[in-house]
Amino acid sequence: MQSRFIRLRQNARLAGVLLLGLVLLTGCASTPRLAETTQQAIPSQAWVDDVPFHAQREYQCGPASLAMVLNHDGVDVSMEALIPQVFIPGREGSVQPEMLATVRRHGRVPFVLNDNFDALLTEIAAGHPVVVMQNLSLPAWPMWHYAVAIGYDLEANELTLHSGEEAERIESFRRFDATWARSDRWAFVALAPGELPHGIGEQRALEATAAFEQVQGAVDTLPAWQALVERFPASGMGHFALGNARHAAGDLAGAIDAFRNAVAQRDDLGVAWLNLGLSLQADGETDEARQALRRAADLPGHWQPRAREALVQL
Amino acid sequence: MKTLRRFLSPLLILALVLGTASVSVSAAPLPAGDLVSTQAALSAERGDADRERIHEILSRTEVQDQLIAQGVDLAEVDARVAALSDEEARQMAEQLEQLPAGASVVGALLVVFIVLLVTDILGLTNVFPFTR
Repeated sequence: MQSRFIRLRQNARLAGVLLLGLVLLTGCASTPRLAETTQQAIPSQAWVDDVPFHAQREYQCGPASLAMVLNHDGVDVSMEALIPQVFIPGREGSVQPEMLATVRRHGRVPFVLNDNFDALLTEIAAGHPVVVMQNLSLPAWPMWHYAVAIGYDLEANELTLHSGEEAERIESFRRFDATWARSDRWAFVALAPGELPHGIGEQRALEATAAFEQVQGAVDTLPAWQALVERFPASGMGHFALGNARHAAGDLAGAIDAFRNAVAQRDDLGVAWLNLGLSLQADGETDEARQALRRAADLPGHWQPRAREALVQL
Repeated sequence: MKTLRRFLSPLLILALVLGTASVSVSAAPLPAGDLVSTQAALSAERGDADRERIHEILSRTEVQDQLIAQGVDLAEVDARVAALSDEEARQMAEQLEQLPAGASVVGALLVVFIVLLVTDILGLTNVFPFTR
């Protein structure tokens, strides 16, 4: 009798803790709101056509989601081929860095989006399916999941996703956001080199493109750098990177042009002056090369010793 | 891995320091057209490029070991590690165990089941398809 009473009390305590936990949680969940500018910029409904659905087998939501976005963008790769490239047997799942890395291996540039609803819906409206990471369960017992967002309806407050074993699943904004927020609203798009997500920042675009170049090489990355300097004309590093890619592709005159743009945007970018000087030297423009290298050698920083050396050898 | 790391770090630092020193002393001829790469320039902008490089070399071997230990096919490991950015390799090396792995399964306890059922009905979670 006594032990039963104690157990009852313990159960009551447990229930109380759980209830408190629920109350705390409900406090954070609400239908996400869009910024005014986003509301004006995107249609009230949007749908990405031609996203093939791949039903996941157990644990395979990562490879399945990747297959959907890659196939949509014209990359011919099966879910079966993706499994050994991204799945980690010991973890029985796929981790975020490797999701991005696998996109690179298949010739698309992965861009992690800004962590808000505006960025997500804007990409869908632009015709890009978005891979999202959700924790469908609670933080204490996580159930991590990748799905592909392919449509939305602002009037119904609903998002459409290819998710798990269900094609075109409809989730309310509120429920989706509650599960998405637990991954810090992690989402990415896989774009062909030359395309950029709408709201991406300069630094993130630079890093994403440079990481792609490391895997796929300069020639395949050329259109991506070109697009980057068109989006961010004042990016000294962007022009510099474009110069390097053109140089690697054998376009010396184009490289010199780009390096000139780089130093025009950022006069203090020693490394751009250095590469400009070296390129001019290779082009036989010794006088101009000397001027550029002098400027590089004058600028303090990591590349100063190398610039001085190049000047001596000129 | 910890001990290996402790052992390798000073060696790598030494190797890099010697490498840099010999360049500045002997002034080895720099082939024309040997430009500074975009990756090198970006990591120099981020901070100490040499330290980053040591870190990166260590990270990538570590990720390789960890992936093999987690059952990834040996034939795939090199290509998988090569496709990571420097930042991602570092992240994987430091916290592969903690990184969330998307798989959509949850440990099934009865209490958990009931709690999740309630949160599903409240629209906070999305574990059971029949609650929608």
